Amino acid sequence: MALEKELETYKQKLVELKEHEGKFALIQGDALVDVFTSYEDAIKAGYDKFGLEPFLVRQIHATEQAQFISRIVAPVTAMQTA
Amino acid sequence: MVDAFVGVSSGRVAALQKAQLPVPQPQRIRALVDTGASGSCLDPIVLRALEIQPTGVIPVVTPTTGATPAICNQYDVSIMIPAAKSAPFQVPTTAVTEHEFFSAQGFHALIGRDILSRCVLIYNGTIGLFTLGY
Repeated sequence: MALEKELETYKQKLVELKEHEGKFALIQGDALVDVFTSYEDAIKAGYDKFGLEPFLVRQIHATEQAQFISRIVAPVTAMQTA
Repeated sequence: MVDAFVGVSSGRVAALQKAQLPVPQPQRIRALVDTGASGSCLDPIVLRALEIQPTGVIPVVTPTTGATPAICNQYDVSIMIPAAKSAPFQVPTTAVTEHEFFSAQGFHALIGRDILSRCVLIYNGTIGLFTLGY
């Protein structure tokens, strides 16, 4: 799965990230780079810092929030695209 | 249903230019305005054309997943909806998740409430017309 290491880092750092609920964490590898108020700022910082290398931007939620789609569609899971 | 253009995000454009790589052309799509979608979604065929990699991973619940969310990749893109008599509605950077079968249904994307939260959506059911104000 793409970004597996970054996702693991997010889970490990979640306790310290809880005070930033709703903001956006920028993560590469096992490093939490910074926290941003907006998704746009986090993405821009990711490309500025890492160029075209993989990085993760994740909205911080102490309790995981799922996206909800009421229409019948077939999600392409991260495992399928690995 | 709206016609729209989906391209790489503004941050990725800058990174591609810095690396002296070509920027993929925005893809013309048909999108369904869907207030039942909390986030916007895109067909993989469009994502492949944009040659982008995921920058997020999030759980997604649909009628096909049941109670257990599917873990889906999230991609940063730009979206532009042209307007006949005014400036287009543009979102330089937004997140979309990847879902199949949109093409078979006659559209390539769902415009969800994440995008609609930037507009005023008026649905006039008596004449079968909707208006997006931005």
